Amino acid sequence: MSRQRGNKPGFWFFRLFLKTGGLWAAYGLLYGVALHYWLFDRQAGKAARAYLSRRFPENGKLMIHLKCYRLFVSQGKQLIDRMAATSGAVRFNFTLLGEDTLADLSARKSGFVLLTAHAGNWQIAMTTLGRIGKNVYLVMHPEHNTAVKQSLNISSEGAFIDTIPPAGGPGDVLKIIKLLKDGHIVSFMGDRPYDAATGEVTFMGDRAAFPLGAFSIAAAAGVPVVMLLASRTGFKSYTVDFTHVMTPKYEKGRNKRDQLTQWAQTYADILTDFFTKAPYQCFLFYDVWRNREDPGGPGEKRSVSGN
Amino acid sequence: MADKQSLEEIREQLKQSLVEELSLEDITPEEMKDDEILFGEEGIGLDSLDAVEIVLILQQNWGIDLADMDMEKGKEIFASLDVLAQYIYDNA
Repeated sequence: MSRQRGNKPGFWFFRLFLKTGGLWAAYGLLYGVALHYWLFDRQAGKAARAYLSRRFPENGKLMIHLKCYRLFVSQGKQLIDRMAATSGAVRFNFTLLGEDTLADLSARKSGFVLLTAHAGNWQIAMTTLGRIGKNVYLVMHPEHNTAVKQSLNISSEGAFIDTIPPAGGPGDVLKIIKLLKDGHIVSFMGDRPYDAATGEVTFMGDRAAFPLGAFSIAAAAGVPVVMLLASRTGFKSYTVDFTHVMTPKYEKGRNKRDQLTQWAQTYADILTDFFTKAPYQCFLFYDVWRNREDPGGPGEKRSVSGN
Repeated sequence: MADKQSLEEIREQLKQSLVEELSLEDITPEEMKDDEILFGEEGIGLDSLDAVEIVLILQQNWGIDLADMDMEKGKEIFASLDVLAQYIYDNA
């Protein structure tokens, strides 16, 4: 169900169904494909259960397992929607929340950090930023580039979205701060660390590791962090929410990693609230609760022996 | 107008700032070597969050804005404490 789980013949079939029968035909095919993954992809099931068992703590194993299938179908529909949007075959209706915020931010000389998560159809939602006249740079590892580039039409003429593969050194910081000061938008994944520095937060009622880089960069560049939340609300309908904005600014005398973790906690709370209202929009197929590492930990000094 | 800091003074202030601002333990400014490697396993293992902090330290303490620096040059000046101190000395 994730990028790695699709293959070329599979996508070809979905495109064929989409072209010949429209969205409903592709959705029809999806129910069978999702069933296959639900029955046989143990890894995907395990990762999905990490989230579902925390979202639905009152449910037993069987209900959680059934809800896995519903989550797979929900993600599949959004992948199909993205495919349809990229091909230009279908027009989707977006309800945009926070248009005033975006207008205000687009009028500024500097850019802003856009924080996304494995929540809803963030790729399709990001296309709504085209109207504000700023370029968007996604900080993304090269192995994820191909799929994202395809889904966002990045290579196409006139595209306003591009990717920055992090080299892992201090040069990344300089490049990102320069982009922000030049007025561009730099987007980070806020809910999965991908080997970046993390802080321990409470997410869906349990301790989890969230990345801190986005807040650190925003504080250094003096720009706001805008949180993008996109949910599929019905057939061809999406709500894109840009109303959550914070401007990280360090308080003197307080441990900076503590403050970064506090901002990450605010984000975790917003995401928890989002998934409480829209439980089948969470596509974080990674156990952020189990795979957490916090080199310093809140309120602690850090060892220089490594991270 | 204040006198220009010597390279030695810059190095000492930089060590102090790194230990304090990055909340480093296990090492004091006095213990930090002049040619200390800052990033990666060979050195004191600073990470990307620390790189952001160093950009801020340079801006706040010496008025150096690194935002316009190209990435390759950026990698070079972060190579070690000595190289960074020399860059500050040349550009402050």
